[in-house]
Amino acid sequence: MSTLHVLSHSPFGDNRLASCLRVMGAQDALLLCGDATYALQPGSAPFATLQAAGLNLFVLAEDLQARALDTPDWAEAINYSGFVELSIEHDKVNTWL
Amino acid sequence: MKFAIALFSAAHAPSSRRALLFAQAALAGGHDIVRLFFYQDGVYNACDSVVTPQDEQDLPKQWRTFVSDNQLDGVVCIAAALRRGVLNDEEAQRYQRSAICVQAPWALSGLGQLHDAIQDADRLICFGGA
Amino acid sequence: MAQSLLLISRQAPWSGPGAREALDIVLAGGAFDLPIGLLFLDDGVFQLTSGQNAKAVQQKDLSANLQALPMFGVDDLFVCADSAKARGVATDALALGDMKVLTAADIATLIDRYDQVITL
Repeated sequence: MSTLHVLSHSPFGDNRLASCLRVMGAQDALLLCGDATYALQPGSAPFATLQAAGLNLFVLAEDLQARALDTPDWAEAINYSGFVELSIEHDKVNTWL
Repeated sequence: MKFAIALFSAAHAPSSRRALLFAQAALAGGHDIVRLFFYQDGVYNACDSVVTPQDEQDLPKQWRTFVSDNQLDGVVCIAAALRRGVLNDEEAQRYQRSAICVQAPWALSGLGQLHDAIQDADRLICFGGA
Repeated sequence: MAQSLLLISRQAPWSGPGAREALDIVLAGGAFDLPIGLLFLDDGVFQLTSGQNAKAVQQKDLSANLQALPMFGVDDLFVCADSAKARGVATDALALGDMKVLTAADIATLIDRYDQVITL
């Protein structure tokens, strides 16, 4: 069993990322989109946390591009058809609304 | 794969655009959408009195076109809609309100429709928040 | 067989309609006899403290809806131990009886057990 978790809020001043990381299972994946992609801002605490976490980490490419952020080599940038495929690959999708 | 897609944020939220693009990608990938369900601020996506500047994305219009062109089932939660002043003709008459902003292809209905869609689908995907 | 749904409620009781609208999804599901679970996480645990006074802020009392859950066949009620502890909420003095108190690891397992999940 695995869940695709989806985050779209900025990790700064919001506890969704922290809570998500606490309750994620070993087989789960995490997709960052919208302002959640700021977690991939180098030099930030969320960046360090995600780098150390060793997760199955995905990020929506358009949101990185909009924010002039790069995809670190421990994450995979995807487009919408990739998002659809990810949602099928995992048993359920848990969006942190 | 059959998807149920629930949207919780208003038309101007990035997650609403994201929901539409996901829905388009799902159909393009040969999948089915059993229902689109708008809840909480998502009901504003069904509101045809939203006026979008010409140089911006008109999400309500894009949603309408998407649902009509693909003959999808677009349901707006009636309780959430009433609370937010998003009324169709019937509800505007019932509550004697002057503004009607929900028309076809949108239907106002209850949360039972969300549960029904969840039961029918292989995947429930929610969009909302930021 | 009906698909089961876990609703994870993260909002404090009067931070807007979020907590109430999350509960409405649960009650609607219960009314249709669907297998629904409800987990209180993060600020959602504040929905469970005793002695709250909704009238003081001219809001509707959520606790009546919470107490109604078993009547709607929703018995699978969970609370996150870490969320409660971080907020100084004692899990042995919650307004709702019969709640299972879960660790973070338990929650991962819980999510796996359900067919679908909504985190609101």
